[in-house]
Amino acid sequence: MKTFIIIPCYNDAAFLERVINSVKPYGQVVVVDDGSTDNSREIAQSAQAIVLKHRLNRGQGAALETGDLYALREGAEIVVHFDADGQHQAAEIPRLIEPILKGEANVVFGSRFLKSDDFTPFLKKWLILKPAILFQNLLLGVKLTDAHNGFRALSRKALELIRITQDGMAHASEIVEKVKLNGLKYREVPVTVLYNDFGQGFGGGLKILADWLFGKFNNP
Amino acid sequence: MTYLPLQIIVSLFVMLIVFRLKKKFKDNSLKTSEFIAWLVLWLMVLVVFWLPQTTSYLALLFGIGRGVDLAVYLATLVIFYLVFRLYLKIDKQQKEITKIIRHLALKDEDKNHDQS
Repeated sequence: MKTFIIIPCYNDAAFLERVINSVKPYGQVVVVDDGSTDNSREIAQSAQAIVLKHRLNRGQGAALETGDLYALREGAEIVVHFDADGQHQAAEIPRLIEPILKGEANVVFGSRFLKSDDFTPFLKKWLILKPAILFQNLLLGVKLTDAHNGFRALSRKALELIRITQDGMAHASEIVEKVKLNGLKYREVPVTVLYNDFGQGFGGGLKILADWLFGKFNNP
Repeated sequence: MTYLPLQIIVSLFVMLIVFRLKKKFKDNSLKTSEFIAWLVLWLMVLVVFWLPQTTSYLALLFGIGRGVDLAVYLATLVIFYLVFRLYLKIDKQQKEITKIIRHLALKDEDKNHDQS
Protein backbone atom coordinates (compact mmCIF):
# COMPACT_ATOMS: atom_id res chain seq x y z
CA MET A 1 0.00 0.00 0.00
CA LYS A 2 1.19 3.51 -0.78
CA THR A 3 2.38 4.84 2.55
CA PHE A 4 3.37 8.43 3.27
CA ILE A 5 5.30 9.37 6.39
CA ILE A 6 4.65 12.97 7.38
CA ILE A 7 7.31 14.63 9.52
CA PRO A 8 6.46 18.14 10.70
CA CYS A 9 9.69 19.93 11.45
CA TYR A 10 10.58 23.20 13.13
CA ASN A 11 14.28 23.79 13.73
CA ASP A 12 14.96 20.08 14.18
CA ALA A 13 18.19 20.01 12.17
CA ALA A 14 20.00 18.05 14.88
CA PHE A 15 17.87 14.92 14.50
CA LEU A 16 16.32 15.26 11.07
CA GLU A 17 18.78 13.33 8.89
CA ARG A 18 18.80 10.34 11.21
CA VAL A 19 15.00 10.38 11.49
CA ILE A 20 14.48 10.58 7.71
CA ASN A 21 16.92 7.77 7.03
CA SER A 22 15.29 5.60 9.67
CA VAL A 23 11.76 5.93 8.25
CA LYS A 24 12.70 5.79 4.55
CA PRO A 25 12.30 2.01 4.21
CA TYR A 26 8.65 2.26 5.30
CA GLY A 27 7.26 4.73 2.77
CA GLN A 28 7.47 8.04 0.99
CA VAL A 29 8.93 10.61 3.40
CA VAL A 30 7.31 14.07 3.41
CA VAL A 31 8.97 16.68 5.62
CA VAL A 32 6.88 19.77 6.30
CA ASP A 33 9.36 22.49 7.16
CA ASP A 34 7.29 24.78 9.37
CA GLY A 35 9.27 27.97 8.83
CA SER A 36 12.51 26.69 10.33
CA THR A 37 15.31 29.21 10.68
CA ASP A 38 18.05 26.59 10.79
CA ASN A 39 19.15 24.37 7.90
CA SER A 40 16.42 21.73 8.44
CA ARG A 41 15.17 22.23 4.91
CA GLU A 42 18.56 21.62 3.24
CA ILE A 43 19.09 18.55 5.40
CA ALA A 44 15.70 17.14 4.43
CA GLN A 45 16.34 17.80 0.76
CA SER A 46 19.77 16.19 0.79
CA ALA A 47 18.24 13.17 2.54
CA GLN A 48 15.92 12.93 -0.48
CA ALA A 49 12.67 13.60 1.32
CA ILE A 50 9.87 15.56 -0.30
CA VAL A 51 9.98 18.95 1.40
CA LEU A 52 6.95 21.21 1.78
CA LYS A 53 7.89 24.64 3.02
CA HIS A 54 5.79 26.86 5.26
CA ARG A 55 7.14 30.36 4.80
CA LEU A 56 6.03 31.26 8.32
CA ASN A 57 5.89 29.11 11.43
CA ARG A 58 2.26 28.01 11.81
CA GLY A 59 2.48 25.23 14.38
CA GLN A 60 2.60 21.46 14.37
CA GLY A 61 -1.11 20.97 13.61
CA ALA A 62 -0.88 23.26 10.58
CA ALA A 63 2.22 21.43 9.32
CA LEU A 64 0.55 18.01 9.68
CA GLU A 65 -2.51 19.20 7.77
CA THR A 66 -0.33 20.48 4.93
CA GLY A 67 1.35 17.07 4.82
CA ASP A 68 -2.00 15.28 4.96
CA LEU A 69 -3.42 17.31 2.07
CA TYR A 70 -0.29 16.64 0.03
CA ALA A 71 -0.49 12.90 0.73
CA LEU A 72 -4.19 12.89 -0.17
CA ARG A 73 -3.45 14.63 -3.44
CA GLU A 74 -0.64 12.20 -4.28
CA GLY A 75 -2.88 9.20 -3.72
CA ALA A 76 -1.64 8.00 -0.34
CA GLU A 77 -3.42 4.96 1.08
CA ILE A 78 -1.84 5.19 4.52
CA VAL A 79 -0.37 8.19 6.28
CA VAL A 80 1.92 7.96 9.31
CA HIS A 81 2.54 11.00 11.51
CA PHE A 82 6.06 10.95 12.88
CA ASP A 83 8.01 13.39 15.09
CA ALA A 84 11.17 15.04 13.78
CA ASP A 85 12.99 15.03 17.10
CA GLY A 86 13.83 11.34 17.27
CA GLN A 87 11.20 10.50 19.92
CA HIS A 88 9.52 7.84 17.81
CA GLN A 89 10.95 4.54 16.65
CA ALA A 90 10.79 3.90 12.91
CA ALA A 91 10.96 0.14 13.48
CA GLU A 92 7.51 0.36 15.07
CA ILE A 93 5.84 1.69 11.90
CA PRO A 94 4.94 -1.80 10.56
CA ARG A 95 3.20 -2.62 13.84
CA LEU A 96 1.38 0.73 13.78
CA ILE A 97 -0.02 0.30 10.27
CA GLU A 98 -0.80 -3.38 10.61
CA PRO A 99 -4.44 -2.89 11.81
CA ILE A 100 -5.06 -0.67 8.77
CA LEU A 101 -3.54 -3.22 6.38
CA LYS A 102 -5.74 -5.90 7.90
CA GLY A 103 -8.78 -3.65 7.60
CA GLU A 104 -9.36 -3.69 11.34
CA ALA A 105 -9.04 0.05 11.90
CA ASN A 106 -9.09 3.40 10.07
CA VAL A 107 -6.90 5.14 12.61
CA VAL A 108 -4.19 3.67 14.81
CA PHE A 109 -2.83 5.59 17.77
CA GLY A 110 0.51 4.84 19.36
CA SER A 111 0.33 4.46 23.12
CA ARG A 112 3.21 4.88 25.58
CA PHE A 113 1.30 3.15 28.33
CA LEU A 114 0.37 -0.18 26.79
CA LYS A 115 3.94 -1.32 27.35
CA SER A 116 5.61 -2.16 30.61
CA ASP A 117 8.81 -0.30 29.74
CA ASP A 118 7.73 3.29 29.38
CA PHE A 119 10.31 6.06 29.51
CA THR A 120 7.95 8.94 30.34
CA PRO A 121 9.33 11.20 33.08
CA PHE A 122 7.46 10.53 36.34
CA LEU A 123 6.05 14.06 36.78
CA LYS A 124 5.02 14.33 33.16
CA LYS A 125 3.21 11.05 33.37
CA TRP A 126 1.25 11.62 36.58
CA LEU A 127 0.79 15.40 36.65
CA ILE A 128 0.16 16.05 32.98
CA LEU A 129 -0.52 13.00 30.85
CA LYS A 130 -2.75 10.94 33.14
CA PRO A 131 -5.10 13.89 33.88
CA ALA A 132 -5.08 14.78 30.17
CA ILE A 133 -5.96 11.19 29.22
CA LEU A 134 -8.80 11.12 31.76
CA PHE A 135 -10.08 14.47 30.54
CA GLN A 136 -9.90 13.36 26.90
CA ASN A 137 -11.72 10.11 27.55
CA LEU A 138 -14.48 11.75 29.57
CA LEU A 139 -14.97 14.69 27.23
CA LEU A 140 -14.75 12.86 23.91
CA GLY A 141 -16.24 9.56 25.00
CA VAL A 142 -13.31 7.46 23.84
CA LYS A 143 -11.34 4.74 25.55
CA LEU A 144 -7.67 5.43 25.04
CA THR A 145 -4.65 4.75 27.23
CA ASP A 146 -2.63 7.71 25.94
CA ALA A 147 -3.16 11.30 24.81
CA HIS A 148 -1.14 13.63 22.63
CA ASN A 149 1.21 10.98 21.41
CA GLY A 150 2.15 12.26 17.94
CA PHE A 151 2.79 8.77 16.53
CA ARG A 152 -0.32 7.67 14.63
CA ALA A 153 -1.43 6.18 11.35
CA LEU A 154 -4.47 7.05 9.23
CA SER A 155 -6.09 5.15 6.40
CA ARG A 156 -7.12 6.99 3.27
CA LYS A 157 -10.73 7.01 4.42
CA ALA A 158 -9.71 8.67 7.69
CA LEU A 159 -7.48 11.07 5.80
CA GLU A 160 -10.39 12.14 3.63
CA LEU A 161 -12.64 12.73 6.64
CA ILE A 162 -10.28 14.35 9.14
CA ARG A 163 -9.32 17.95 8.50
CA ILE A 164 -7.02 19.44 11.13
CA THR A 165 -8.05 23.02 11.90
CA GLN A 166 -6.05 23.38 15.12
CA ASP A 167 -2.71 24.86 14.09
CA GLY A 168 -1.07 24.37 17.47
CA MET A 169 -0.75 21.35 19.70
CA ALA A 170 -4.51 20.91 20.20
CA HIS A 171 -4.63 19.04 16.87
CA ALA A 172 -3.99 15.79 18.75
CA SER A 173 -7.29 16.16 20.63
CA GLU A 174 -8.99 17.35 17.48
CA ILE A 175 -7.98 14.20 15.61
CA VAL A 176 -9.38 11.98 18.39
CA GLU A 177 -12.58 14.04 18.38
CA LYS A 178 -13.01 13.74 14.62
CA VAL A 179 -12.32 10.01 14.69
CA LYS A 180 -15.19 9.72 17.15
CA LEU A 181 -17.52 12.11 15.29
CA ASN A 182 -16.99 10.34 11.97
CA GLY A 183 -17.50 6.94 13.53
CA LEU A 184 -14.07 5.74 12.36
CA LYS A 185 -12.67 2.51 13.75
CA TYR A 186 -9.65 3.13 15.93
CA ARG A 187 -7.07 0.98 17.61
CA GLU A 188 -4.15 1.51 19.95
CA VAL A 189 -0.76 -0.08 19.55
CA PRO A 190 2.05 -0.02 22.12
CA VAL A 191 4.94 2.21 21.08
CA THR A 192 8.14 3.46 22.65
CA VAL A 193 8.65 7.19 23.10
CA LEU A 194 12.12 8.32 24.09
CA TYR A 195 12.52 11.70 25.71
CA ASN A 196 15.18 14.21 24.70
CA ASP A 197 13.50 16.84 26.83
CA PHE A 198 10.32 17.25 28.86
CA GLY A 199 8.16 18.35 25.90
CA GLN A 200 4.78 19.90 26.67
CA GLY A 201 4.62 21.05 30.30
CA PHE A 202 1.59 21.90 32.40
CA GLY A 203 1.30 25.38 30.84
CA GLY A 204 1.40 23.78 27.41
CA GLY A 205 -1.40 21.46 28.50
CA LEU A 206 -3.57 24.39 29.55
CA LYS A 207 -2.89 26.17 26.26
CA ILE A 208 -3.99 23.04 24.37
CA LEU A 209 -7.23 23.02 26.36
CA ALA A 210 -7.86 26.73 25.74
CA ASP A 211 -7.11 26.43 21.99
CA TRP A 212 -9.39 23.46 21.70
CA LEU A 213 -12.29 25.13 23.53
CA PHE A 214 -11.96 28.44 21.68
CA GLY A 215 -11.68 26.51 18.43
CA LYS A 216 -15.28 25.43 18.99
CA PHE A 217 -16.54 28.97 18.45
CA ASN A 218 -14.89 29.53 15.11
CA ASN A 219 -15.37 26.01 13.76
CA PRO A 220 -18.79 24.93 14.90
CA MET B 1 -22.46 71.60 39.94
CA THR B 2 -19.25 70.28 41.40
CA TYR B 3 -17.68 68.50 38.44
CA LEU B 4 -18.35 70.97 35.68
CA PRO B 5 -14.79 70.85 34.19
CA LEU B 6 -15.02 67.09 33.77
CA GLN B 7 -18.40 67.41 32.11
CA ILE B 8 -16.98 69.85 29.61
CA ILE B 9 -13.92 67.71 28.87
CA VAL B 10 -16.06 64.60 28.36
CA SER B 11 -18.51 66.51 26.19
CA LEU B 12 -15.72 67.77 23.95
CA PHE B 13 -14.32 64.29 23.74
CA VAL B 14 -17.70 62.82 22.80
CA MET B 15 -18.25 65.55 20.22
CA LEU B 16 -14.91 64.70 18.65
CA ILE B 17 -15.79 61.02 18.51
CA VAL B 18 -19.25 61.64 17.09
CA PHE B 19 -17.72 63.90 14.47
CA ARG B 20 -15.28 61.13 13.44
CA LEU B 21 -18.09 58.56 13.46
CA LYS B 22 -20.10 60.73 11.10
CA LYS B 23 -17.13 61.07 8.79
CA LYS B 24 -16.51 57.33 8.78
CA PHE B 25 -20.21 56.71 8.11
CA LYS B 26 -20.10 59.08 5.12
CA ASP B 27 -16.99 57.29 3.81
CA ASN B 28 -18.99 54.06 3.96
CA SER B 29 -16.50 52.43 6.34
CA LEU B 30 -19.29 51.96 8.91
CA LYS B 31 -22.54 50.10 8.43
CA THR B 32 -25.73 51.96 9.38
CA SER B 33 -26.33 49.60 12.29
CA GLU B 34 -22.78 50.08 13.57
CA PHE B 35 -23.06 53.83 13.22
CA ILE B 36 -26.29 53.93 15.21
CA ALA B 37 -24.92 51.59 17.92
CA TRP B 38 -21.83 53.71 18.45
CA LEU B 39 -23.83 56.95 18.34
CA VAL B 40 -26.27 55.70 20.97
CA LEU B 41 -23.39 54.51 23.16
CA TRP B 42 -21.63 57.87 23.13
CA LEU B 43 -24.87 59.83 23.58
CA MET B 44 -25.50 57.65 26.62
CA VAL B 45 -22.12 58.69 27.96
CA LEU B 46 -23.18 62.32 27.55
CA VAL B 47 -26.47 61.70 29.36
CA VAL B 48 -24.68 59.94 32.21
CA PHE B 49 -22.27 62.81 32.70
CA TRP B 50 -24.83 65.62 32.46
CA LEU B 51 -27.69 63.90 34.28
CA PRO B 52 -26.03 61.49 36.72
CA GLN B 53 -29.34 60.90 38.49
CA THR B 54 -30.62 58.92 35.47
CA THR B 55 -28.11 56.16 36.26
CA SER B 56 -29.38 55.93 39.82
CA TYR B 57 -32.87 55.50 38.47
CA LEU B 58 -31.71 52.73 36.12
CA ALA B 59 -29.63 51.14 38.87
CA LEU B 60 -32.64 50.86 41.13
CA LEU B 61 -34.51 49.27 38.27
CA PHE B 62 -31.82 46.56 38.09
CA GLY B 63 -31.64 46.26 41.87
CA ILE B 64 -28.21 47.83 42.19
CA GLY B 65 -27.55 50.46 44.86
CA ARG B 66 -25.75 53.22 43.02
CA GLY B 67 -25.78 54.50 39.45
CA VAL B 68 -21.99 54.51 39.27
CA ASP B 69 -21.92 50.83 40.17
CA LEU B 70 -24.28 50.03 37.30
CA ALA B 71 -22.07 51.96 34.90
CA VAL B 72 -18.99 50.01 36.06
CA TYR B 73 -20.78 46.67 35.77
CA LEU B 74 -22.01 47.45 32.28
CA ALA B 75 -18.62 48.74 31.17
CA THR B 76 -16.95 45.55 32.43
CA LEU B 77 -19.46 43.40 30.60
CA VAL B 78 -18.98 45.32 27.38
CA ILE B 79 -15.18 45.07 27.69
CA PHE B 80 -15.32 41.31 28.28
CA TYR B 81 -17.54 40.91 25.26
CA LEU B 82 -15.25 42.99 23.07
CA VAL B 83 -12.15 41.07 24.22
CA PHE B 84 -13.91 37.82 23.40
CA ARG B 85 -14.85 39.08 19.96
CA LEU B 86 -11.29 40.22 19.37
CA TYR B 87 -9.97 36.83 20.41
CA LEU B 88 -12.23 35.08 17.92
CA LYS B 89 -11.32 37.52 15.19
CA ILE B 90 -7.57 37.04 15.76
CA ASP B 91 -8.07 33.28 15.81
CA LYS B 92 -9.89 33.45 12.51
CA GLN B 93 -7.19 35.60 10.95
CA GLN B 94 -4.53 33.19 12.18
CA LYS B 95 -6.36 30.37 10.44
CA GLU B 96 -6.57 32.39 7.25
CA ILE B 97 -2.82 33.04 7.39
CA THR B 98 -2.29 29.30 7.77
CA LYS B 99 -4.43 28.66 4.69
CA ILE B 100 -2.31 31.04 2.62
CA ILE B 101 0.96 29.55 3.89
CA ARG B 102 -0.34 26.04 3.15
CA HIS B 103 -1.48 27.02 -0.33
CA LEU B 104 1.97 28.46 -1.08
CA ALA B 105 3.73 25.38 0.32
CA LEU B 106 1.72 23.03 -1.91
CA LYS B 107 2.15 25.31 -4.93
CA ASP B 108 5.94 25.51 -4.41
CA GLU B 109 6.06 21.73 -4.37
CA ASP B 110 4.20 21.61 -7.68
CA LYS B 111 6.83 23.89 -9.22
CA ASN B 112 9.69 21.71 -7.94
CA HIS B 113 7.89 18.71 -9.32
CA ASP B 114 7.57 20.26 -12.76
CA GLN B 115 11.24 21.25 -12.84
CA SER B 116 12.57 17.85 -11.91
